[in-house]
Amino acid sequence: MVYKGDIFYIDQVLAGKNSAFSYIVDRHKDRAYNLAFRICGNHEEAEEIAQDSFLKAYRSLKSFKMKSSFATWLYRIVYNTSISFVRVKKKGVLSLDDFPADATDFIGNNTSEEDAEKEYRCSLVNFALQKISEEERGLISLYYYEEMSPDEISDVTGISKSNIKVRLFRARQKMLEIIEKVEKKNTVQYENHARL
Amino acid sequence: MKTMQDFKEDPLNKYINADSIEKAPEGFTSKVMSGIQFETAPLKASAKLKNRNLVPAISIAFTLILIIAAILMPYDKNDLVAQPVTDFLKSVLNHVPKIDFSVLRFNLPATLIYISVAILMLTLFDRALNGIFHRER
Repeated sequence: MVYKGDIFYIDQVLAGKNSAFSYIVDRHKDRAYNLAFRICGNHEEAEEIAQDSFLKAYRSLKSFKMKSSFATWLYRIVYNTSISFVRVKKKGVLSLDDFPADATDFIGNNTSEEDAEKEYRCSLVNFALQKISEEERGLISLYYYEEMSPDEISDVTGISKSNIKVRLFRARQKMLEIIEKVEKKNTVQYENHARL
Repeated sequence: MKTMQDFKEDPLNKYINADSIEKAPEGFTSKVMSGIQFETAPLKASAKLKNRNLVPAISIAFTLILIIAAILMPYDKNDLVAQPVTDFLKSVLNHVPKIDFSVLRFNLPATLIYISVAILMLTLFDRALNGIFHRER
């Protein structure tokens, strides 16, 4: 079925046809879920956050003024819900030892070395994301996964464009440092293992 | 959207693949929709409850008006309002057939029988109203 646009379905929901909201959910669920997952780092919690965000969006659909796109408005809800959720359920700090050794550890679940490498990089990023603050995680997700510009991120988060650039720069530096440390640790472990 | 320049200069792009987004689990949409249905159901129920409560409220208000009127209105045989009512009630009682209880070997005031019949009829009426207003249960 051809998607007729967010506004079409929003009008239908506001006219009392609740079932039209399912088309909106279907359209945006993956992006909303992904953003929640990148911020909280847990699949069960991400599902809870994404569902909660859609319910919040449904409840306040009347207040959606259409000044921004529906996706931006929805991402703002997901972003704020995720940040609040993570703040309440503050978890302990991860140590570098919490990350699996290297790409070879991922081969078991995948058919090729290439897939294992991809999985390894993905896990490495997720691990690094969990080591930075929840706000930084949100910014990184919106910038890298949703491919939003600082202007668009500013609409979602309510943080000024110049501040977004500064925070993104810091977050990126932190993540690269963490990734480098993990890779360095893995190299040392690999060399020790080879020597034995 | 990000520009190509942003993409090339960023070392983190080596690790992050924007296409590898985490997808929502199976049945996600239906879960959200059942959550919405669950939320809207109590609103409808409370609206029905309001309509239901309206019937006894009107009934109570009407009865109170009648009681207050009966207390405040002085009894006068030539009263223009009360006289036709009392006359009507008397005529009804006069036209009600007399029941002979001598066959039953015990004596009961006739009014008691009429009151019992009235209670029975009111009960049936109440059941009918109950059936109409509580049909959604």
